[in-house]
Amino acid sequence: MDVPAIATQALTRRFGDFVAVQDVNLSVSPGQFFGFLGPNGAGKSTTIKMLTGLLAASSGCIQLLGLDLAKNPVEVKRQIGVVPEGMALFGRLTGAEYLNFVGRMYGLDRETAGKRTAELLDFMQLAEQPKTLVTDYSHGMQKKLALAAAVIHGPRILFLDEPFEGVDAIASGTLKAMLQRMIARGATIFLTSHVLEIVERLCSHLAIIHKGRLVAQGSLEELRAGVEAQAAAAMAGASPGESSVSAPGEKLTLEEIFLRIVGGTRHADQELSWLG
Amino acid sequence: MAGLSFSPYMRGQFAAIARVRWQLFVNGLRTIRGRLEVVARGFMFLAFGVAGLGGSLALGFAAWFFVSHEKVEWLAILLWPVFLFWQLFPVMASALTENVDSSNLLRFPLSFPSYFLIRLVYGALDPSTALGCLWLLGLAIGIGVAQPGLFLWAALVLIAFAIFNILLARMIFAWVERWLAQRRTREIIGVVFFIFIICFQFIGPLMSRIGRHRHPEVSRITTQVLPYERVFPPGLAAEAIARAIHGAFTPALAAFALECAYALAILWLLNVRLRAQYQGENLSEAVARTSSPKGKRAIRLGWNVSGVPGPVAAILEKEFHYLSRSGPMLFTFVMPVVILLIFRLGPQASAKQGNFLAHAPDLAFPVGSAYALLILTNLVYNCFGADAVGMQLFYVSPVTFREILLGKNLAHALVLACEVVVVWIAVGFMFHPPAADVTFATVTGVAFALLLNLTAGNLLSIYTPKKIDYGAFGKQRASTTTVFASLGIQAAVFGLAAVTLLIARAFGEVWIAGVIFLILAGLASIGYILVLNRADSIALNRRDAILAELCRA
Repeated sequence: MDVPAIATQALTRRFGDFVAVQDVNLSVSPGQFFGFLGPNGAGKSTTIKMLTGLLAASSGCIQLLGLDLAKNPVEVKRQIGVVPEGMALFGRLTGAEYLNFVGRMYGLDRETAGKRTAELLDFMQLAEQPKTLVTDYSHGMQKKLALAAAVIHGPRILFLDEPFEGVDAIASGTLKAMLQRMIARGATIFLTSHVLEIVERLCSHLAIIHKGRLVAQGSLEELRAGVEAQAAAAMAGASPGESSVSAPGEKLTLEEIFLRIVGGTRHADQELSWLG
Repeated sequence: MAGLSFSPYMRGQFAAIARVRWQLFVNGLRTIRGRLEVVARGFMFLAFGVAGLGGSLALGFAAWFFVSHEKVEWLAILLWPVFLFWQLFPVMASALTENVDSSNLLRFPLSFPSYFLIRLVYGALDPSTALGCLWLLGLAIGIGVAQPGLFLWAALVLIAFAIFNILLARMIFAWVERWLAQRRTREIIGVVFFIFIICFQFIGPLMSRIGRHRHPEVSRITTQVLPYERVFPPGLAAEAIARAIHGAFTPALAAFALECAYALAILWLLNVRLRAQYQGENLSEAVARTSSPKGKRAIRLGWNVSGVPGPVAAILEKEFHYLSRSGPMLFTFVMPVVILLIFRLGPQASAKQGNFLAHAPDLAFPVGSAYALLILTNLVYNCFGADAVGMQLFYVSPVTFREILLGKNLAHALVLACEVVVVWIAVGFMFHPPAADVTFATVTGVAFALLLNLTAGNLLSIYTPKKIDYGAFGKQRASTTTVFASLGIQAAVFGLAAVTLLIARAFGEVWIAGVIFLILAGLASIGYILVLNRADSIALNRRDAILAELCRA
């Protein structure tokens, strides 16, 4: 059996009395495009920060590619790429200088770092402003640069926190193609996004976190089957006339599955009457 | 400004803003750092209080003296410094203090009069306004004691003068803010500011030079220029009071009216600036995509520093890129030579009041080098401050903090080495080439002090980081804890250096100081290595706090 690319056991993070993430047991196989979903404040960012070494876990264990992150941080970090929430950019470098710098931080030699920098700038369509400082880039350009930096060393696992936010449709298409190619070559991608359509289109497997606890994990089909089974069981005990989960012959969308699992069904028309 | 009235709606908005300022202050006290900042501010408040009350007493006494000794025209001599302090201090202090950007309030449904008033009041209780008002109060009381019948008139004139100063300070800030909103203009302003500061340093030496000899042309120019002083607000305020004392009420009223006209003109300029802000101006700096010829450009390879591991060399290169793109930072590196030049231009040994370098030119090299080190401590004690969100990369990349700090320390040590060489050459030109034993003692002394500062700097950079922007004009203050700790370290370094020099002097051999400094440097290097080896675990333990500070918007 393959060693999981990402595995956590009872991963927990507390901030004082508040438990942001509690007993999360994740398992992501190599080569999976894994979507990590949850409502705002559910613990997504906290989890991804712990997985990438940006935040210490209060308890529990993180293993990436079979290595314990706490015990072998440098070895683990050599094999992962990260686009964190803040993008980790150095504003007063040019795009080329930044990529060169990141490449060398990940142990690439000068020539390789330079060659990959040129290729990535070209691929991300960032080569047109060679002297522009990163701080003067638009948000979308910064996002592309951050993604380029995350892959410059050819990571085996890529962590992406909202990677498509602020990226235009053309660039978004290019990036998705690049990520699919990485998956085809055996890399693992761990992605968080609020845009469920993107997650549905890209990810083969999903996990949903809610109020700090992992409430679902599996392939999209498995999650769909689970929700439908639950709905069917509920229907059996319900009075006639109550609506079913989906129209006959129609598959549940990820958004519907997500809402069923996290229970996000508040009706605005019944509240906030002053909104008119 | 028509339609300015306090409706309940406006009062509600003002109350909400006041409340949010208070809540920001109270919430700031939740952290130990926030509490330490308040204690430090308390000390500053005390210092300003003493300066305010002392200045008020001194100005009051001087005003009383001038008025009661029929030298009332000399009141202008008192009002000009008040005016200059009121206007220049906030600009200089803005490089050290954090200013709240009240233009953020524009997203709320504020009317223009409300916005105008808020901008006028917000931050108006700064030290310069408080001190300026206190000093003017002292002046008014001094005049009132000397001429009780004129107290009300003097108070009215000085209130108008105070209003003019408040409006001018807000107007200058509103325009400076406009220029600071964009990186390029911000950097230009920074460079202009530092040139101004450097030029300012030369006033003393030049004045003392001029003062030592008779310069008829200087006296002639002064006599010609002096009458024009009276057409500016400080001169007008003095004129309005002086003429009233002499019983010439029409010219006094005319001077007062002109003073008010100045205030109105400034009010109009402020109105123009704030209205532009209110109507929304686009200060975006994002570059547009340009169409340029296709084809791969050659990418310059990273630095190759022999004997230095790749990641350390990469950090070294990055630090140099950052420093070379910081105009203000580059100017601070010029300062040691500027300071030497100031001493060189000042009174020489022949004069009784000659400065100490004129009496002991052998000290020029140690003094210049020590100054270079002092300037460098700005970088050393907050070495992650400029990395901001880039700090995340250090945590996710496979590089230890030992290597990261080594790269940064290497960059700072190289900068200092270059500075010391430049100072040595400058001393050679301005005074005489430093003797071999002085050079040896200075270099070893600097090495010891650098190691000690790097050790403390590495610890403080991890424990009390503060986000800064090398390219920005203001908000570049390290944390107050760091400032006080750094002062303590400098006191210890200078104390040890003084003891060492005294020992060397007792033996009559300067090179003994060099040997002692070498031993001290050896001891300091042990501490340095110990801290460097612990840096990784400390940085990992502190990562939440570090990232929270450096990654904040």
